[in-house]
Amino acid sequence: MTRYVLGPDCGTLTVRTSKAGAAAKAGHNLRMEVTSWHATLDLGDQPALALTADPSSFRVVEGTGGVMPLGDEEKAAIAKTIDDEVLKGSAIEFNSSHIDVDPSGKHLDVEGELKLFDKRQPVTFALTLSDDGRVAGGATVKHSDFGVKPYSALFGTLKVADDVAVEVDATTRSQDDD
Amino acid sequence: MIELDHTFSTGKPVAYNWEAILDLDRVIPRVEGGSVTERTSPDSAKAEIVVKMGAMSMKFRGTVDVAERDDEAHRALLRVKSRDVGGQGYANADVVFTVEDGGGTIHTAAQISGKAASMGEGVVQTVLEALITDFTQKLATI
Repeated sequence: MTRYVLGPDCGTLTVRTSKAGAAAKAGHNLRMEVTSWHATLDLGDQPALALTADPSSFRVVEGTGGVMPLGDEEKAAIAKTIDDEVLKGSAIEFNSSHIDVDPSGKHLDVEGELKLFDKRQPVTFALTLSDDGRVAGGATVKHSDFGVKPYSALFGTLKVADDVAVEVDATTRSQDDD
Repeated sequence: MIELDHTFSTGKPVAYNWEAILDLDRVIPRVEGGSVTERTSPDSAKAEIVVKMGAMSMKFRGTVDVAERDDEAHRALLRVKSRDVGGQGYANADVVFTVEDGGGTIHTAAQISGKAASMGEGVVQTVLEALITDFTQKLATI
């Protein structure tokens, strides 16, 4: 079995949100990084992927669009709002149930369950694996799949879009265990 | 210029509604984010409103005056003049209240410039509509 261990020391777990609603122009599309996460990718007879992320470790890296530029103070305030009012400390965990590895061994179709907002929902996504140990891929997570209304402001005229993009991009050495 | 019309219900007699509408200390805080910072006369106040847009917010500071009042018709014009704190924009409005038994009507004519206006008139109108609708709901308990 070959195991890849991934985390913030060797890559990034990025979360992107976009704005919606009648006053969407006032809001920002956000690029955030999760600063505390851990994942293992096992390849072999029974490929498996497991990931956990600390819901209180979101950091806003960039906000685009909007009427006013997003400063450091606002970025910190958004991260706090996500922690206090959106995720509220609920665990973020993904565990694969099935992984298809193509003959080249470089493309993986991953199926599994994501635990978020104290609910588990199926998620599928593709991962690519490079010779240099780079693991990259992304999934779309919908608020509505978890029965959660996206965060809104301005009397509901400005809100976060239902779709949230999650991307992992990490490079690590494999640990062979024969 | 954005013009909007709303109705509100209080379930109270006309005399009560008339007195309440003219009391700036009671009316202004019922606008979400609004507060009186200083009473300058029985018919005027310095006030500010903080419009929260998630983590961002815009603050307007200015005056609210009872510019006209018709005690027989129970019709009052409240004139709002404010400037965007830290910006170049302004938000002014003439708000006409006409009250009767049980509630009344509000006609708003607003002019907004600066960053808020840069969202486009359609967006400003939508937000203003939502702000005043929320205000009319809060007037129910004035």
